[in-house]
Amino acid sequence: MPPSLYSLLLLIVLLTTSGCTREQEAALEAGGQIAPEIKEYKASMDGAPSTIDPVQSSNVYANAVVLNAYDTLYRFKYLARPYEVAENLAAGMPEISEDGLLYRIRIKQGVHFIDDPVFEGGVGREVVAEDFVFSIKRHFDTTQRPRGAWLWQGRIVGLDAWKDAGSNYDEEVEGLRALDRYTVEIRLIEPYPQLIYTLAQGYAAVVPREAVETYGREFGSRPVGSGPFRVISYDSARIVYEKNTKFRQEPVDIWAEGYDPETQAHIGVEAIQGRSPPFIDRLEIHFISENAARWNSFTKGNEIQYLTVPNEQFDNILASKDPIIAKPEISEKYHMRYSVESGFVFINFNMDFPEFGYNDDPERARRNKALRCAVIKGFDWARRNESFYFGLGRVFPGIITPAVPEFDPELSDESVRLDIDGAKKLLADNGWDEDTIPEMVYGTTAGVSQRMFYEQFRGFMKKIGYPPGKVVLKQYATFGDFIKDTSNSRLPIVSKGWSLDYPDAENTLQLFYGPNGSPGSNDANYKNPEYDRLYEQSAVMLPSPERTEIYRRMNQMVIDDCVAISGLSRTRIYLWHKNVIAMPDREIVSGFYLRFVDIAAGDD
Amino acid sequence: MDVVKYAIRKLVGGIPLILGVTFVSFLLMVYFGPDLTFEMLGKNPTPEQIAEVRKELGYDRPFLVRYSQYLKELATLDFGLSDSTGEPVSSMLIRSIPISLALVTPGFILGNLLGVLLALVAAYHRSGWIDKAIMGFSVVGMSISFLIVIIAFQILLSSSYGLNLFPVRGWNVHSLYDYVMYVTVPTLASVFVALGYNTRFYRAVIVEEMTRDHVRTARAFGIRPGKLLYKHILKNSAIPIITRIMFSIPLVIVSGSLLIESYFGIPGVGKVTFDAITTGDQPVLKAVVGLTAVLFVITLLVTDILYRAVDPRVSLK
Amino acid sequence: MSAVTEVDSQMPDVNEHHESIWGKALYKFRRDRTGMLGLGIVLIYFIAALGVWFGIWGTEWSDVEGPKWGAMSAEHWFGTNIIGQDIFQRSLYSTKTAFEIGLIVAVLSTLLGALLGALAGFFSGTWIDAIILWLKGVLDSIPFYLFVAAVAFALKGNPWAMHVAMVSTFWTTTGRLVRGEVIKLRNFEFVEASRAIGVPQVTIIFRHIVPNTFHILLVQATIVFVAAIKSEVILSFLGLGVQDGVSWGLMISESTMEVLAGFFNNFAWASIFLFVLVMAFNMFSDALQDALDPKKVAES
Repeated sequence: MPPSLYSLLLLIVLLTTSGCTREQEAALEAGGQIAPEIKEYKASMDGAPSTIDPVQSSNVYANAVVLNAYDTLYRFKYLARPYEVAENLAAGMPEISEDGLLYRIRIKQGVHFIDDPVFEGGVGREVVAEDFVFSIKRHFDTTQRPRGAWLWQGRIVGLDAWKDAGSNYDEEVEGLRALDRYTVEIRLIEPYPQLIYTLAQGYAAVVPREAVETYGREFGSRPVGSGPFRVISYDSARIVYEKNTKFRQEPVDIWAEGYDPETQAHIGVEAIQGRSPPFIDRLEIHFISENAARWNSFTKGNEIQYLTVPNEQFDNILASKDPIIAKPEISEKYHMRYSVESGFVFINFNMDFPEFGYNDDPERARRNKALRCAVIKGFDWARRNESFYFGLGRVFPGIITPAVPEFDPELSDESVRLDIDGAKKLLADNGWDEDTIPEMVYGTTAGVSQRMFYEQFRGFMKKIGYPPGKVVLKQYATFGDFIKDTSNSRLPIVSKGWSLDYPDAENTLQLFYGPNGSPGSNDANYKNPEYDRLYEQSAVMLPSPERTEIYRRMNQMVIDDCVAISGLSRTRIYLWHKNVIAMPDREIVSGFYLRFVDIAAGDD
Repeated sequence: MDVVKYAIRKLVGGIPLILGVTFVSFLLMVYFGPDLTFEMLGKNPTPEQIAEVRKELGYDRPFLVRYSQYLKELATLDFGLSDSTGEPVSSMLIRSIPISLALVTPGFILGNLLGVLLALVAAYHRSGWIDKAIMGFSVVGMSISFLIVIIAFQILLSSSYGLNLFPVRGWNVHSLYDYVMYVTVPTLASVFVALGYNTRFYRAVIVEEMTRDHVRTARAFGIRPGKLLYKHILKNSAIPIITRIMFSIPLVIVSGSLLIESYFGIPGVGKVTFDAITTGDQPVLKAVVGLTAVLFVITLLVTDILYRAVDPRVSLK
Repeated sequence: MSAVTEVDSQMPDVNEHHESIWGKALYKFRRDRTGMLGLGIVLIYFIAALGVWFGIWGTEWSDVEGPKWGAMSAEHWFGTNIIGQDIFQRSLYSTKTAFEIGLIVAVLSTLLGALLGALAGFFSGTWIDAIILWLKGVLDSIPFYLFVAAVAFALKGNPWAMHVAMVSTFWTTTGRLVRGEVIKLRNFEFVEASRAIGVPQVTIIFRHIVPNTFHILLVQATIVFVAAIKSEVILSFLGLGVQDGVSWGLMISESTMEVLAGFFNNFAWASIFLFVLVMAFNMFSDALQDALDPKKVAES
């Protein structure tokens, strides 16, 4: 071989192997030798986090990733369904005062951060209450580019003022203090029943001040936490963790975690009883948004071991849809689990647009409402469910999703039932015809599925007499651009999906709360004073039948005013290899379940 | 000494080009590019928060200020930190460029090598059935969309519906064996697509050479085919061949690998760049665009010098 | 002068032998069977596209009446896609989209290339030439897909973004070839003669010189047409392509989901339609090139 070719080959080999030096170095540092039999779990997610700094972990993926490297005060129980809160870094449930304004939370002692050069001698120090205080304060410091401030804005005494005064970390905030090394005290302006849920979010993860100050913005790719795993590599394709050997030893009691042998016995989770998580030595989470690639990687056998099944595979893996039973060849090789998502998809009318929404002329306002109601009647949810979700989605009326306790299964489904004649009649009775009907601009992010949703929507509209030329698509190349226009109230029809941050209907009801209008998350810009009043009233109530009653009244208002075409909760099907002992979940528990995963010995 | 002076002159001449490219790219991708503001904000942002974030991201400064800042960064090779992950841009590039190189190099070499070989065979048997077959195959190769090829190959070779021989996606390379596993399918796909174009072009060049008088004369003298090939044909065809290869280098590295990297999940420079465009991650964009421009000018320069090495008739003036 | 003798043997003077190069080309082209076949197929597609334009057929491409993933049947010749749209209607409609893109981009970029190439060639060595060359260099050194993505973003999703981006990059090859040709032509006697008479430069360029580059322009236009259609496929896949209506690129990107569930109709038919047109056009373009190649003309 000519010498030049030889050196080129050498160069290539060098270049490729240089790509994984960091990992190998880490492995070597860890113990000098890679253990002969390490337990490894390769999970997958259908999207990628943009960063792993807790202060910016705004999407489902970032949340799941952050929760494994860091600690939060609370988490959700592994096996309990419906979801229940459990303690994580906190030593017990919070002590709450009578008036609901004062919370005292004790944290566990002897919890340490991982070893990192930012600490003295490179050894991770103990986690203290002040660390939690610091972590929340970061959300009120703009230099950190925080995204989670909305959870605690206007709720904690003195915190907003602290921000206005310049976010000086050496200054105390009256409502957020460390009473001593292990006690946190939070003082609220008003009762906030969902506070404890917010403390189980990635946003509330505990970070060490030294790391944030030393690494600055790089902290977003160099995590230093106290969670069950430590990150050894992170790029746009996957994140790799190894077991955090300094993680606190806490034997798991599956009964306390909500184990239900009737529905969960087949998973084999009894094998982890009494042992202390995490059970795997190495965790990889692959970010694969392309369905085809994800499915191929899963079925191959030696790549990822878990996935949320892409919709188009449902027919291939299910023998029946009601009840959901897998085909024999699937149930032989994999475990399967399914659940309705905790979230939903729906379509908002933006009431700021006088052609459809609020209008100073009462006559026009009335006609607008008829128009909206006609569109809602013309929307064929059953067909949408069939086309895109294999009929497995759960169509329900209103905005309280099936996943929350306040859901009312008895509520009439009239608002989601197809009624073409009714729609046509509404249009005719209110003076709407092909010429007078306004143009609808349907806004959505870029993507093949979104485009198909739009085309189907246009097809539906054609049947009730809405001319296809007047149903126009506006696709945004990036999610950011889409949000920008909805935040500036520039889109009349907004197609949305929402994932619950916590299992309380307040999370979806706030989507229609007046003051949350654009640029907030109420991009329907629904402004109903009666609704707002009820919202404020219920916001400070603890879960109770009275509160549920109020929630349902609010739900009915949204339905009656024809503000949104809502909604559908997708059914997710999870598959994982037989040698993996786990109860995976994509929502709410999505990050937390990973520490309880175990691999059966002697796998295939 | 002549070469050095020539090189310097060419480099200086390339500066307007670099300026032009950086200006155009900066204008498009950075100034008019996606607004990262709303990605950074959480839910329910207030107008004050929006203004704060914009200030953080530097959107409120005037155009010329931002542009000159950019040029400074380019000169010092300090691009700061990525807007989305916070990782230093330089380390992102150092991490991903070798991967992209490792990914495209085999395909590039193979595609051109095979192209030249097939072209030689075709040209030698001009108008014969071998020539027609090769040309027919080339046209077919040129007519199939790259996308179709990628999808088809992934199904056929990597998935459990097909041969299931290769990994579906990813880049988990720790040994030569791993490398071969991960790079094969992408390489096959790119060779398949490039071969058609390459073969046709090289054949045209070689045929042109072959019909020249001095070649005809040499043939008449009964010179051996091998020697004919090397001494007379290839050496003269070298200029257009090399030009083509050189010019395709910068393009292949950055945009050619884009589709492959997204589809096969390979964390190389193409994917990083495309992600940066769609998310509006300006520091990364600035770095990649600037470096591409510089690379292009350097390529021009090197090509010029190579010309001289191959064809002494070309002067350095 | 050697230039003059070259004129005699290679390049017939434009005023007298204008017909003969085209006449010879036509004759040669007619005898090239693959070329004629290619042309025939292209014409069939073109008629299909016209039909869609005038609303004669292909109108039901957006109706969602059919069953989900229906098989090929008498009612839906190629079956249906996930929301029940007729694949045959969509493939047919895409013909119009393809021709629109191909023609617009080919015509505009050829015009632009001819204009700038001629100017650069005629004023070769001056600052006009330098600027145009610089512009060419700049556009060539930005990777194509990144450029299109950037333009698409900059134009905020305007449906013409794709066309603008394509025209801005595709003119460069045409420009370069025209420039080269114009430099050669510039030195011919008839140009000197025209100058001596006092014909204004602009007229010289556009009425005398450029027509002599038509053979280059024609061939380049066909090449760009193919490149435009092929680029559209990838752009639509990336979400940057066609916004309204349907195209083969969109059909293929839709089908990436379906293919793994075992439904190939969408993928197969869009690919076949695309492949046949591109292949036919390539054959046509090749034959055209052969027919118009001055060296070969001299041979026959």
